Amino acid sequence: MKQKLLLAASMLALALQATPSAAQSPAELNDLQIAHVAYVADNIDIRYAHLALAISNNPAIHEFARTMIRDHTAVNEQALALLKKLNAQPQDNFLSKQLTANSEKLVDEMSQLRGAAFDKRYAENELAYHKAVNDLVGNAFIPNIENAEVKSLFEAGLKIFKAHEHHAEMMVKSVSK
Amino acid sequence: MSRRSFMKKVAAAIAAATFPTLQFAIAQPRTHRVEISGFKFTPDRLEVSVGDTVTWINRDIAPHTATATEGGWDTGELVKGAEASITVTAGMETTYFCAFHPMMKARLSITAPDQ
Repeated sequence: MKQKLLLAASMLALALQATPSAAQSPAELNDLQIAHVAYVADNIDIRYAHLALAISNNPAIHEFARTMIRDHTAVNEQALALLKKLNAQPQDNFLSKQLTANSEKLVDEMSQLRGAAFDKRYAENELAYHKAVNDLVGNAFIPNIENAEVKSLFEAGLKIFKAHEHHAEMMVKSVSK
Repeated sequence: MSRRSFMKKVAAAIAAATFPTLQFAIAQPRTHRVEISGFKFTPDRLEVSVGDTVTWINRDIAPHTATATEGGWDTGELVKGAEASITVTAGMETTYFCAFHPMMKARLSITAPDQ
């Protein structure tokens, strides 16, 4: 029985140590590349939230930003714990690089704004960002993830990000009044 | 049988018949559980009595709270797997939400303790 378990664990580890591919579309990414994209996407939203806490004076924006930091940090902790359990490392890829490059531009742009202009831009970006990430996770990632535990984590993450999207809609309405 | 003896027996029979009933009529405090999962409180409507305990347990990865709408009571932050309890008191606020995700709302309905 112990040997069977060891064999199963080895096969799982091999499956997760997929060879990095030169994927050029989200649907072609392997599980470890998908995990990397998710980790990068979480950290990007945490960075936007820290920017909001530094620039905005709106208590509702602060509350929303703190929630983004809290929730995305929790998701990343779960993802890292799962990767550790599976003895796997996330793999950098074209989409992670693309997301990071886009976020750099956006941080530069938002850093120039102040007051209501910043709040509106931040809230609108949170809505657009969560919509885009949810589309990616729901339609490109989850259907293609092979490992059941990784898939389950992404399904739980999608529920959180959909709640964030709904929350961001409320924020956009609030700062547009 | 003397009249006095008869009355004693009647009184004893009444007491024997009534006492168990009284025991059941006095409601004992209960513990209710509310699961937080998928960004929802389940159940989102809960009937409780004064003296009961309500325990919230968070099954989500995201931290949550159960916080009275006007802030009268609060579980504080509940990370995944954590739980916290509140004892139901007369006149306490009955509507609550998650302070981190304000779209999550639920309600307690408090009935008199002996009902």
